[in-house]
Amino acid sequence: METGNVAIVLNAHLPFVRQPDYPRFLEERWLFESLSETYLPLLRLFGRLEAEKVPWRLTMAISPTLTAMLGDALLRERYAAWLGMQLELAEREVERTRDDPAIAPLALAYRELYTQNLEDFTVLHGGNVLAALDFYYKKGRLELMTSAGTQAFLPLYQAHPEALAAQVESAVVSFRSTFGRSPSGFWMPQLGWYPGVEEVLGAYGLQYTVVSTRGALLGTPTPIHGSYAPVSCPNGFTAFIRDVAATESVWSEAEGYPADPAYRDFYRDIGFDLPLEYIGPYIEQNQIRTFTGFKYWAVTGHGADKLPYDPAHASAKAVEHAENFLYSRARQARKAQPLMEHPPLMVAPYDAELFGHWWFEGPQWLEALFRKAQGTSELRFVTLAEHRREHPESFESVPELSSWGEGGYAGAWIEKSNDWVYRHAFKMIERMVELAERFPDESGLRERVLNQAAREVLLVQASDWPFLLKAGKSGSFARKQVEDAVTNFTRIYEMLCANTVGTEWLTRLEKRNNIFPAINYRVFRRKR
Amino acid sequence: MNIERLNGLSMEALCALAEKMGLDLPPALERVFAVEAILEAFEEDSAERRSPADAAAHIEEKKYSGSELDEIDASIDAAPCIARLYNETVVHLLARDPEWAFVFWDVREDEMDLLRLSEGFSGLFLKVIRDPGRDGRTGASFDVPVGEEDSQWYLQLPEQGAQYRVDLCARLGSKHRVIAHSNVVRAPRALLVDALGDLDPAAAELAALSGLERLEIVPLPERHPSRILGGFDV
Repeated sequence: METGNVAIVLNAHLPFVRQPDYPRFLEERWLFESLSETYLPLLRLFGRLEAEKVPWRLTMAISPTLTAMLGDALLRERYAAWLGMQLELAEREVERTRDDPAIAPLALAYRELYTQNLEDFTVLHGGNVLAALDFYYKKGRLELMTSAGTQAFLPLYQAHPEALAAQVESAVVSFRSTFGRSPSGFWMPQLGWYPGVEEVLGAYGLQYTVVSTRGALLGTPTPIHGSYAPVSCPNGFTAFIRDVAATESVWSEAEGYPADPAYRDFYRDIGFDLPLEYIGPYIEQNQIRTFTGFKYWAVTGHGADKLPYDPAHASAKAVEHAENFLYSRARQARKAQPLMEHPPLMVAPYDAELFGHWWFEGPQWLEALFRKAQGTSELRFVTLAEHRREHPESFESVPELSSWGEGGYAGAWIEKSNDWVYRHAFKMIERMVELAERFPDESGLRERVLNQAAREVLLVQASDWPFLLKAGKSGSFARKQVEDAVTNFTRIYEMLCANTVGTEWLTRLEKRNNIFPAINYRVFRRKR
Repeated sequence: MNIERLNGLSMEALCALAEKMGLDLPPALERVFAVEAILEAFEEDSAERRSPADAAAHIEEKKYSGSELDEIDASIDAAPCIARLYNETVVHLLARDPEWAFVFWDVREDEMDLLRLSEGFSGLFLKVIRDPGRDGRTGASFDVPVGEEDSQWYLQLPEQGAQYRVDLCARLGSKHRVIAHSNVVRAPRALLVDALGDLDPAAAELAALSGLERLEIVPLPERHPSRILGGFDV
């Protein structure tokens, strides 16, 4: 029997950004970059492992907002067009760097990457990345979980059961319509757990989640296996526990593997380095410098002077780091195993975009992990659902309120830069409940209006906006997203109060914010 | 914002950025000094915004890779285009961490006008009530005076694991009137629910192996001193 089990969990999420009113929109690049550097490379990795019969198991939480964007015809079309632009830039880069022996091979590699991405996206997957993920889901290699409708940080909505129900119901419906079956796992956005949320999740047939180590260790009672086995709440809902050491070896910005000098540097990008007259057509509005994805330098060190990136050296390092990860987990398991009846489980949850987008070699590291693990009997990779089936009995404990954010609680989502959001979000929820109570049996146009109102309430709750406001990244965009949702909702509320509906405006809004097509506003009917 | 990005900006863009950041740069300042001043100011601002221990959050930011305008935009406190308040009488309470809660409130304008005309009215205050009973009886409490123009506050909670409610009150002479009740929140704990000595030795060792020390989680002391601050009305 193996000494320990490892569950890699990837959180695949981006906030809903879709701006059909603009021909190009800066923040839509978040999706395009993650497709190019994370999701398509991951699918290639899955394909290689399958072809070579390497055993692999991965759990991926795919958020309803990302699901909606990956399935959206307009964004698919825009992504293909964006790839065309990247290929044009790649051609120019090949030409520009042809006499630079250190950079020229990198430009060629980027041309190959974007050619491959275009081929995979348009031909192999027919634009449907979700179907590709579903293929591995149905095969049992990839376990898919859902997450809250718009990634609301749920502990802050405890006092609003209708909003919680809407977040969970919209997620379950979205998952079912995309993958044809009900999800059993639910990713708590930002690992934001609070005692009692298990009742909400259990009511929708959800069975398990992942919580932070802090939240679990502070649970009532203290878990007898530490973070090495999941705990079960009194209603049978299972909370898997994040492993600190496994997480930090990858996640730590300063000491994690991605900080190694051999890897590709995330920050140095020709979008910032090259003259505007050259790079203009490939950045925003020909003048707003942004990342292009063409990065030629290695991490090297903290200074501005970087060494050219050496892909072969970086690949070798990724393999070395995979071996180190396996060695460290095996050592960890050997310490814990004698103290337990079952092999200890180490759950390693990461943001999916860490792999490839930020840590360019991340997918190579993952691939090496599965390849190297097949040669050892000490460690076995499992999905969370698989582990739950194999070990249905868990110690009963309820984790404490916690998250994976700064400080371990709710502080990252409620501080001076973002606390103003909640006054509006709560008011919208309160008014939405009022509308759902006043108009419980609407159909036709009024039902459409109410459903759109419900969408706007969900959109305002996204934890991405407070996070961005705090981080100071795309802060004004985040503020605008909140303000837009508030304005749209308030207009609908006032229209309904005045018994008038602007159909043209409504249709435009439905087309823009087209997430959750099957939403039922009645989910906001009073719960107590 | 880093030196490479700043070096890529025109002098006009640098001046605009400096202005937005509230820096007063001399008109003929050399470019290199302008970059230095902006970088310094930005680092100070970032240091305030971020904790060095917040590595996971820093990494998460990378997926929102944006443009050179990211930091400029974030430096602007854009004028809100939505109503700041809703002219309602309400108070909401949110638990932030074991020590702090966020409370926000509002009083309807006509109600506030009436209060001002009330005999003995001397202002508003928040009554922070620990373990409010379901039967309407209240537990220990303390008062936090607030200004009439205030609408939100961060409250330090004296005891982790306890439940709290906030009543928004008007002081009327030696008496007070409750204007609104908040929801009840529970302050999360930062201490283990058990003393390590009370745990099975294997469980204590597994807790240690799980990173108890690294997370700076403190086991419950054998005798846990009350952290209730003085000044409570019971």
